[in-house]
Amino acid sequence: MKNIASFKIFILLPFIMLLSCSDFVEVDLPTSQLTTGIVFESESTANAAMTDVYSKIRDTGLLTGTASGMSCQLGNYADELIYYGPAGLSTENFYRNTLLVDDPTILEWWNSSYNQIYAVNAILEGVENSSSLTGDFKTRLSGESLFLRALLHFYLLQVYGDIPYITTTDYLTNSNVSRTSVDQVYQNIEEDLLLAVEYLPQAYNDGNRTRPNRFAAMALMARVYLYQGKWAEASEAASAVLNQTQVYSIESDLANVFKIESSETIWQLDSALPGENASEATTFIIIQGPPPLTALSEQFMASFENGDLRKEIWTKEITDGNSIWYYPNKYTTFENTGSSIQFSVMLRLSEQYLIRSEARAHQGDIIGAREDLNIIRNTAQLPANTGSTADGLLAAIAHERRVEFFTEHGHRFFDLKRTNSLDSTLGNFKLGWSITDRLLPIPERELLVNPNLNPQNPGY
Amino acid sequence: MGLWYTLVLAVYLCSCSAIASEAPPLFLQQQKITGVITDALGPLQGVNIIVKGTTVRSTSDELGRYNINAATGDILVFSFMGFKTIEIGIGQQTIVSVLLIEDTMQLEEVVVNAGYYSVKQKESTGSIARITSKDIEKQPVTNFLATMQGRMAGVAVTQSTGIAGGSFDIKIRGINSLRSDGNNPLYIIDGVPYTADAIGQGFTNTVMQSPTSPLNNINPADIESLEVLKDADATAIYGSRGANGVVLITTKKGKAGKTKFTVSFAHGLASVTRFMDMMNTQQYLKMRRQAFVNDGITEYPAYEYDINGTWEQNRNTNWQKVLFGGTAEVTSLQSSLSGGNQQTQFSLSGNFGKETTVFPGDFRYLKGNVRAGLNHESLDQKFKVGFSAGYTIQDNNQPSTDITTQALSLAPNAPNLYDATGNLNWENNTFENPLRLLSGKSFSKTYDLVSSANFSYEIANRLILKTSLGYTDLNHTESSSQPSTIFNPAYELGPESSQIFVGTTSRKSWIVEPQLNYGFDTGKLQVEALVGSTFQSQRNEQLGLQASGFTSNSLIYNLAAASNIYVINNDISQYRYQAFYGRLNLNWDKRYIINITGRRDGSSRFGPGRQFAWFGAVGGAWLFSNENFLKENSFLSFGKIRASYGTTGSDQIGNYQFLDTYTTAGTNYQGVIGLQPTRLFNPLFGWERSKKLEVALEAGFCKDRIFVTAAWYKNRSSNQLAGIPLPGTTGFQTLQANMDATVENRGVEVTLRTINITSDHFNWTTSINFSKSKNELVSFPGIETSTYANLLAVGAPLNIKKVYHYTGIDSQAGTYTFQDVNNDGLYNAADRKTIVDLNPKFYGGIQNQLKYGNVELDFLFQFVKQRNYNTAAFGPLPGTMRNVASPNVSSWTSPENTGAYQLYTSGANSAAAIAYGRYIASDAVITDASYVRLKNIGLSWDIPQKYIPKIHCKIYFQGQNLIIFTKFKGADPEFSATGALPPLKVLTTGIQLTF
Repeated sequence: MKNIASFKIFILLPFIMLLSCSDFVEVDLPTSQLTTGIVFESESTANAAMTDVYSKIRDTGLLTGTASGMSCQLGNYADELIYYGPAGLSTENFYRNTLLVDDPTILEWWNSSYNQIYAVNAILEGVENSSSLTGDFKTRLSGESLFLRALLHFYLLQVYGDIPYITTTDYLTNSNVSRTSVDQVYQNIEEDLLLAVEYLPQAYNDGNRTRPNRFAAMALMARVYLYQGKWAEASEAASAVLNQTQVYSIESDLANVFKIESSETIWQLDSALPGENASEATTFIIIQGPPPLTALSEQFMASFENGDLRKEIWTKEITDGNSIWYYPNKYTTFENTGSSIQFSVMLRLSEQYLIRSEARAHQGDIIGAREDLNIIRNTAQLPANTGSTADGLLAAIAHERRVEFFTEHGHRFFDLKRTNSLDSTLGNFKLGWSITDRLLPIPERELLVNPNLNPQNPGY
Repeated sequence: MGLWYTLVLAVYLCSCSAIASEAPPLFLQQQKITGVITDALGPLQGVNIIVKGTTVRSTSDELGRYNINAATGDILVFSFMGFKTIEIGIGQQTIVSVLLIEDTMQLEEVVVNAGYYSVKQKESTGSIARITSKDIEKQPVTNFLATMQGRMAGVAVTQSTGIAGGSFDIKIRGINSLRSDGNNPLYIIDGVPYTADAIGQGFTNTVMQSPTSPLNNINPADIESLEVLKDADATAIYGSRGANGVVLITTKKGKAGKTKFTVSFAHGLASVTRFMDMMNTQQYLKMRRQAFVNDGITEYPAYEYDINGTWEQNRNTNWQKVLFGGTAEVTSLQSSLSGGNQQTQFSLSGNFGKETTVFPGDFRYLKGNVRAGLNHESLDQKFKVGFSAGYTIQDNNQPSTDITTQALSLAPNAPNLYDATGNLNWENNTFENPLRLLSGKSFSKTYDLVSSANFSYEIANRLILKTSLGYTDLNHTESSSQPSTIFNPAYELGPESSQIFVGTTSRKSWIVEPQLNYGFDTGKLQVEALVGSTFQSQRNEQLGLQASGFTSNSLIYNLAAASNIYVINNDISQYRYQAFYGRLNLNWDKRYIINITGRRDGSSRFGPGRQFAWFGAVGGAWLFSNENFLKENSFLSFGKIRASYGTTGSDQIGNYQFLDTYTTAGTNYQGVIGLQPTRLFNPLFGWERSKKLEVALEAGFCKDRIFVTAAWYKNRSSNQLAGIPLPGTTGFQTLQANMDATVENRGVEVTLRTINITSDHFNWTTSINFSKSKNELVSFPGIETSTYANLLAVGAPLNIKKVYHYTGIDSQAGTYTFQDVNNDGLYNAADRKTIVDLNPKFYGGIQNQLKYGNVELDFLFQFVKQRNYNTAAFGPLPGTMRNVASPNVSSWTSPENTGAYQLYTSGANSAAAIAYGRYIASDAVITDASYVRLKNIGLSWDIPQKYIPKIHCKIYFQGQNLIIFTKFKGADPEFSATGALPPLKVLTTGIQLTF
């Protein structure tokens, strides 16, 4: 009996060991992950890949309405905001022009933007290789991806100057790219936007305009032309948007401009949860003085003309009894509400009027320029501009842009830069201002990992 | 899988019935030998008596009596843990009474657990450090890693927070991997691997410095011995998981003899070891006023409440005392029941511990556990079965914020915490009362089962088939709440603004390890061999939730009351592991020993075709004291030279890294939950490898009263799985791949044990361990272009800081100056070229054990030579509305009076702010942080039986972290994280009763 038992064991043991072949260590796919191929086999998962990019743009990187986004940081960097927060935050370094090459915001903007660009490139490739997605859905997703790729590179270009234009997910290529000249980046942006305009449908895919349509691409195109001084093209692109009067019109009540149902909105970002409101409100609203982070500067508040309704509606005063501060109140609600009231607006119609106005002024179309400008002034209940010279009008437009787009995605800083007014304006206002501050530094880490990105921007 | 497991079990059952039918052999010429076994104090129970060369054995009873059958010419071997083994030849006598002598050295008998096999310490070819329950039970700590501090050469343990239930960091022979989370040793509890991967998540574990570790589940009182395997010879049999060393935990087992019930109760107090020396109000306000003078600001802004008259100017509060200067109570109750007979032994234990907090408020950490063990062997000792299971419950209730940071930065003239009516004082909304933060709670509950069973059957003489089975099941829930009450009521935030983060982790694993052992002797050669295999599977489930918008703060733990619930993550991962291993040990005449171990490992963490790899080692030992020319040497009682070389590996990289996937991102847009690309796709990575070399000398002198071990080792880890740094333009910052970088750890470890005095009444033993190690990044092609360029340098250790070199204070501007290494007028990474090594230069411990009659005193001094961040590195820019360390009183005020620190600024002086930013990234803030600490003291008195008959009563006093000698100015030099609660000193008294 005993011998038989041990005999069995002897036979079995090696047998067992052999049985257990190497497929034991092959595990099933995790339930929380999908292989890339599968994602682009169905519309719902491909769409989820797309919506994630919008969420990321809303929550991280350059365009987020949180305090780490451009609206707050570049507001502090230029002359819109004063910093009141604790010592050591990145925002303080923006405000004091003491940004270092290892600043966390500088790195976060760069990494988040290129991560978002990777995601849209992956969608472009995934959609391209997909065998089961249908034509319309494919073109729509490609159009949105190209639009976002252009948008992100556009802002990177404004902030960092020459930047690599990334069009693939191949890390071998992307890890030793060089910086592309500003002109070339603009050319790439234009190419992407032209395709986006072609691919995107005219209609929105939802009632809240939270996914870009053809006119969103067109509106961005108008800005891209304007920044390059391509006046005719800018005017034409802006007109293409402005002519859609059935879809877009100026809100007569300024209090409605940033509401979800605003007819001015060309594209806005959905909130994360029903009832949540744009995070710009949390960033800027001051509940009690002194400001926990930042407040509008006196100089900015003084720049409103008398009677400008925007001062009354889009800014708000707070006092602790001794001092008075003002904060941007375009976004009025930071609490959750039953259903959301305000989303973060990315593109709006008034910019198109001011783009066309500026382009027309440069082209010598004084009457047309004045007309567009006065549409905006009219809403603010300001008297019509009667200027008759291009220079006068351009100054008026610059001023109008300042009070119209304050604390919106760095408009002020970019306008000063493209009109070569940075040093004359900020040099007086900011103690630490230096001529090289027109560009932010390329993140130090990036230069270390990819020396092809050298040299660093001047002054850092 | 299930099939063959059933088969194995069936086979065992068959074999059992086979054994049962066997009758023990009878030898007619034998006679019954009886006797009494005693030691200096009285009868000894449980002494093993074996007839040498046979399997006949017996055990002494409670009166020390035994009986055994033996024949003339036989030799009786009397052995008992902690006593010298005695051999007595049987002549005509039938009564053999012996007196066993306590063996303080124990080396002769010490059998160390090497994991898959045991080996006599004397004959071991590997490097294995060991502590036993004797050392462990003298320490009033709740985490077993703490018991190793200062007691083991080559094992560096540091505590990460003083908050109860916090985790410890352990490094065995330095850092091998560039991945900071890739340096964990492998933990094995009674043969079952126990994953040390964190069970908590950062967002739910806000009060601790690092996510909750499962290692807290292991109860120190349950541990019989802790063995740390260090060199290749000892670790190669664990193959891929042995690169960072192996910690073997053996739990207490039942002992044959009278049923014994032991209960002990201890109670004590704990408080922080020391406070940081901060400015008082006078110094602080002087600094503040000077800051505004320096900045040219004459009118204090409205929000500078501390200085503009809003707050009282004469109040002076030591916020450290108020906010974390309390006394925590430490209570522990331990009980155990054990006993059994020759064939079957059992043990049952139950423990309960409680530790309150040094913060104001009602916070506490509770830990309870039960453990059961059963061992059985057949009459002929051929079949053995063992079972052990432990279940631990932890319940931790802490604030969600470690308010140490607040205590250190709050202005000393900040207002009272409470107003006249006893409510939190907000001083007319000028004061962010730090106690508000305590209404945010961090709760965690952990339930953990670790069970194991092992079967062995001796098929033929010294041919043993073994199988061990293990199962672990861990469930952990933790939450961090932020009720609206953590905000000043003036913000008018109600429960709709409250939020809570909740995380749950569930981890289950099983392991089956069939093993075959064979041994035989031929002439002077003894051969031991084993082959075995491992199948292990682990499933991990993790869920993270964020809930916000409650109808009432008292409903915050009811997620159904939240208006928004957001799933942060929900991951299920599977880890599978398979291995074949073997060992061949050749022992020639107890003089020359060769030990060969090898393992083929497969892990599901690698992509197809890369899952398997070979690991192996060879170790050798020469017991030169057994050579004829030294055998009779009266001075040298033991001598051994051993050496080993081999490879081990690491797969600590997380699961599924080789897949090209999208993960749910947890983002929500248009009601769609987003999918994001998980990582850059690279399936082509494989095992990380460590080559280990060790040479050691072990020698005992004067009958081992002096025993010394000296080891030299050199380990090289290559093929590093560190995540190759990539530029952000790739969309990610790293790529999972093997990096061509090599890290070397080399060092010397010396242990010395001396029996200074040994007599009937007084014994004094000293143990010293000393470790000196050097960590070096030997090669790293392309380091200059990697992100590691800022962090590492070839030729330097891994744990370094590359910093600016501080050159003093600019006497005109009053700001700090630094060396501009490349003279380009800029200060950036190119100028952070000064390398500061934060690794300990050397460390160790000196332990003394004194025993006089019934009184025993044991104390341990731990010493570390190291550098660390000093108080100047802590805190904000001096001059702003935050308190700073008191040395800052000496600051620049004028070119004539530069002081030791730069000029104060309220924040307006951006040049000073920038200089300060560089200062804390310079070598000026890293200074000597060496220390000698009275780590542990244990004093106990065994009350003689004449006072309390039938009950063994022991009274003890224990202390931890009692006294520290250091020049370091910060809170605690052991501690690297500023702004976190430092380790506590603990004093307890207790009583132990054994029935």
